[in-house]
This record gives sequence, C-alpha cells and structure tokens, in this order.
Amino acid sequence: MKDHCCGPGYASPAEAMMAPREKLLYTIAIYTGTGIQKPDYLATIDNDPDSPSYSQVISRCEMSGIGDELHHMGWNACSSCFDDASISRKYLLVPGVRTSNIHVIDCATDPQNPSLYKVIKGSEIKAKTNLSAPHTIHCLGAEIIISMLGDAKGEAPGGYLHLNKDFDIIGRWESSMGDIPFGYDFWYQPRHNVMVSSEWAAPNTFMPGFDLEEVGHLKYGRRIHLWDFKKKEPKQTFYLGEDGLIPLEVRFHHNPDSTHGFCGAALSANIIHWWKDTDGEWKWEKVVDVDNEPHPDWPIPVPGVISVILLSMDDRFLYLCNWLHGDIRQYDISDPHNPVLTGQVWMGGLLGCAPEVNGVKITGGPQMIQLSLDGTRLYVTTSLFSTWDNQFYPEIRTNGGCMLMVNCDTEQGGMKIDPDFLVDFGKEPNGPSRCHETRYPGGDCTSDIWI
Amino acid sequence: MNTYTVTISNRDNATYKVAAHRPLLSSLCAQGVDLPYGCKYGGCITCAGKLIAGNVEQHRQVALNNRQLENGYVILCVAVPISDITLEIGVESHDKLYRNPFLDPLEPHELKANIATPKEI
Repeated sequence: MKDHCCGPGYASPAEAMMAPREKLLYTIAIYTGTGIQKPDYLATIDNDPDSPSYSQVISRCEMSGIGDELHHMGWNACSSCFDDASISRKYLLVPGVRTSNIHVIDCATDPQNPSLYKVIKGSEIKAKTNLSAPHTIHCLGAEIIISMLGDAKGEAPGGYLHLNKDFDIIGRWESSMGDIPFGYDFWYQPRHNVMVSSEWAAPNTFMPGFDLEEVGHLKYGRRIHLWDFKKKEPKQTFYLGEDGLIPLEVRFHHNPDSTHGFCGAALSANIIHWWKDTDGEWKWEKVVDVDNEPHPDWPIPVPGVISVILLSMDDRFLYLCNWLHGDIRQYDISDPHNPVLTGQVWMGGLLGCAPEVNGVKITGGPQMIQLSLDGTRLYVTTSLFSTWDNQFYPEIRTNGGCMLMVNCDTEQGGMKIDPDFLVDFGKEPNGPSRCHETRYPGGDCTSDIWI
Repeated sequence: MNTYTVTISNRDNATYKVAAHRPLLSSLCAQGVDLPYGCKYGGCITCAGKLIAGNVEQHRQVALNNRQLENGYVILCVAVPISDITLEIGVESHDKLYRNPFLDPLEPHELKANIATPKEI
C-alpha cells in the first residue's frame, strides 16, 4: 500500500487502518513467581484463521535466564520513522521489570520464530544510568526511550533510558525529573511539543505485591505530568487526588494534531481526560467513573481496578479493563468530554459474572489488551503482574493465564467474545504460564506515533 | 572460613555448608539448589523463603512488610546466615506471603518498617 516511502509504519492513522490483517501475535508469557524454574518467553501465536494452527502458540523465544518478569514491550521503530528508509520495524525490545535486562528480539528474519538478538544487561543499565525496572518503550525517530521506574536501588522516581538505534546506551534521556515522585507510562505528541507521563510506584513498593495501606502513605501515584518534549523536562502537573489513584496507561489521540488524551486511574477506577483548551491552557477532567461493586464475601465493595486503557486508531473508541470486576468496556469518545458506553463483555474477575469462557475456566480478569489496526479485533490477556496475580487470583499458579479475542462493532458499537479463538497458557509445555502484553509485526494501536 | 549448615525442609532435609558472609541465594545456587529469584538486591520478593529454625541477618531487604517478617520470610538474595538454619524454599513456602489486601488488611504495626507505627503494648 505504500506508494511513496519505505520507512516503517504508515503515513497516517487512516492509512494504518487499511493495513492487512494481523496474522501473527507476539505475547509475553512469564514463569517468574509461578514456581516453574524456566525463563519467561515471547510466545508467537498463529492468528491466520485459514491456518491449521490458528489460535495456537507456534513458537517460544526464551529469555536468557529466569526471573525477568517480562511485562510491556515495544518496537525499535514505528510510524514516527515513516520517512526514514534506513529504518525498519524489525526488533521487539522486551524488558524484564525485576532484572532490568532488556531483551532485543529479532522478529523479522523469521517472523514465525523470533530469536534473541541482544541482551542489554540490567547491571550495565544500572552502572551507566543509575536506573532500573524498565517499563514503557517508545521510539522517537531512530532512537528509543524507555521509562525506568526506579533508580539502581529500586527507589522512585527513576527516569528515562535513552538508547540509540543499535541498542547502545546513550544515557539518561530527560534533562530533569523536576518534582515528579513516580514514573510509569508515557506518550508524546510532537506537534504540540508535549509528553505525558503517569505514576505507579517505586519498584520496591509494587514489586513485592500490593499493600493497600501504602496508598494512604503516599507510596502510590496520583498525578499526571506534562513535559516540554524538546527540553525534556516536566512543565506542569495535574494533581488528581482521590479521583486519580494509581494512574497507569496514558494514551494520546493517534491524530497527531489532537491534544486530547486519556488515562486510566486503576484504583479509583476512573478515566481521566486531558486536553489543551481554547485559552491555551492544559486541563483535565474525570469522564468515566466505574462504580465499586458489592461482593458476598467482601466487607467493602470491589473496585474495578482499571488495569489498562486503549484508543482505537481512529480515536473513536476507548477500551478499558476492570481487572477485578472482570469486564471490558467500549466507550464511544467521539466527544472526548462525554464518553458513551457502547459495549461490554465479561471474562473471569471476582464478581463471578463469567467464570468460564469458550470452555475454559478464566483465572484472573481482563487485563492487557491490544486492538487490530482496523479496530475490529481486540486481544485480551488475564495476568497483571506475578505478585499481584498471586494476591488476587492465587489459582492462576495452577491454571495459568489465557488469551481471548473480542470482536468489536466499529459501526454501531458493541463487543462480542469470539467463540473460536482461545489460547490457554495453562497448557503450555513447561507448565502453566501467564500472558500479558501483545504486539503485531505490522504495528498496533499502542505503539505508533506520528510526528 | 566461618560456615553454617543450611537444611532445606522441603527438599528431603538436604543440607549444605554455606559461608557466613555470603547471601544464601548465591551460596545455595552455587551448590546446585534450584531457587527462584528476580532483582537480586532485596527489593522484589521473588526469592523469598521461610525460615523454620535459626537466624539470618537481612537488613538490606526492602521487600517484606512486618507481617511477612513476623511469619518468618527471608529474602534469600541478601540474607546471610548467623547460625545454622532450616529453610523452606520456593513458592511452596509462600502460603502466607501473599494476601488479598482488601480482605485481610495490615495493622499499622504490620506495614513495612519505614512506615509502620510501633505496636502499643
């Protein structure tokens, strides 16, 4: 479809939506914290409906050692390099939160059987940058920045690791962290010279598990930060307070001219919307508030715990997961100030609304999601983070995680779980593993940014 | 060299001689014990084991709250023995390590040491 350029990605979000269907899925799967003494791995899933191995894991690329806790990952290049013919979307950078190792995986030489190309050792990252606990990866042109949630000793706020296109450490990306207490996710919108970042907690706080009491001791985040992207320093903070406890994924509109973006506040179970107003000021508001739900065995109602949000490539729909309730919601955000609930499906969760889906007992709840570029297929996995899984869904140790697909109606709105797609990570050859983030070879709805 | 004996209760009471000043994870892995681990600096809890008998010194750990310490958990990547000890290892020892924080809250004295309120006696 490319008629004038040969860099990675697409000329625009609209062109991305016309890309061929994703026929392979790359999903991380972990053994860290499960009792199985095997490395975490990148699973390749056959997603060609005409293939005999459709909806099965067809290869597994193991990391170099145990204990990484793979979590999120990112491409070496995206549509931000669309004009650069010397760059291609070839490598997935797959960090280990606990070891700080960053694995560079070659997904292009043999897309059905990715291989480990290089490991940037956590010890090298700590020695050169005093950073640990890698999380979100974005490329900016031919270079790569990674949010690192801790310093070398696992204390907040950490900072941003800067790599060149050959995956050598340049150093710290940011000029200053300002008064930012915690890091987590980030996204940038270059035409407005802005980056947005959110807050989880220090690695030493969240890695061992979730002590709810530590929220009250201000050990977890409740702010969103706007950065001067060129100066690489924070310039404004939204203090969200009780409306924004543990703000996690931040998503700008894909439209590079837009200033609108959204964040899911996990513990408050709210969606926060920000934008640059007509008076030139950046503002925020709460646009979705998921009610806590009663549970027969709980002394207090169960919060949704919005573990992720995602925007469709056309910026029309926002999807969110309530990991503890067990539902995925689709909102029409054509008016970003007034989201309209247009779809909802259930899988797992603590409320008992859908304990079994497609013949499999779902342990965990809908957690990480990835959407096809055309917006019609949403892939969902059920594990959050090994220690947190162990607290809320201890049976996941023996049952493992799973991946489902949800068919999304992009005309009228609406969602339906696909009855023919299921990847049961409880049946992996080395024993039950847990699946988390997913990406596709051709780019997806959470990696590509347009300059 | 000063050594202690480590007995692993859930590995048929296998015993290992370990150096007094070397973290238990390092000593035991070097002798072929298959142990889980992650950060290797005392922050992530993945390598936690349960101390059944004896004493360790683990001031470098920052992963455990006071309840977990009270329940005998030790962070093997930084803990060093200060006597002969008996350990239970791996996730089999984690029965009291994880709890649903909404159903089973911590008392103020059970938080991590740096934010805990001392228990009034």
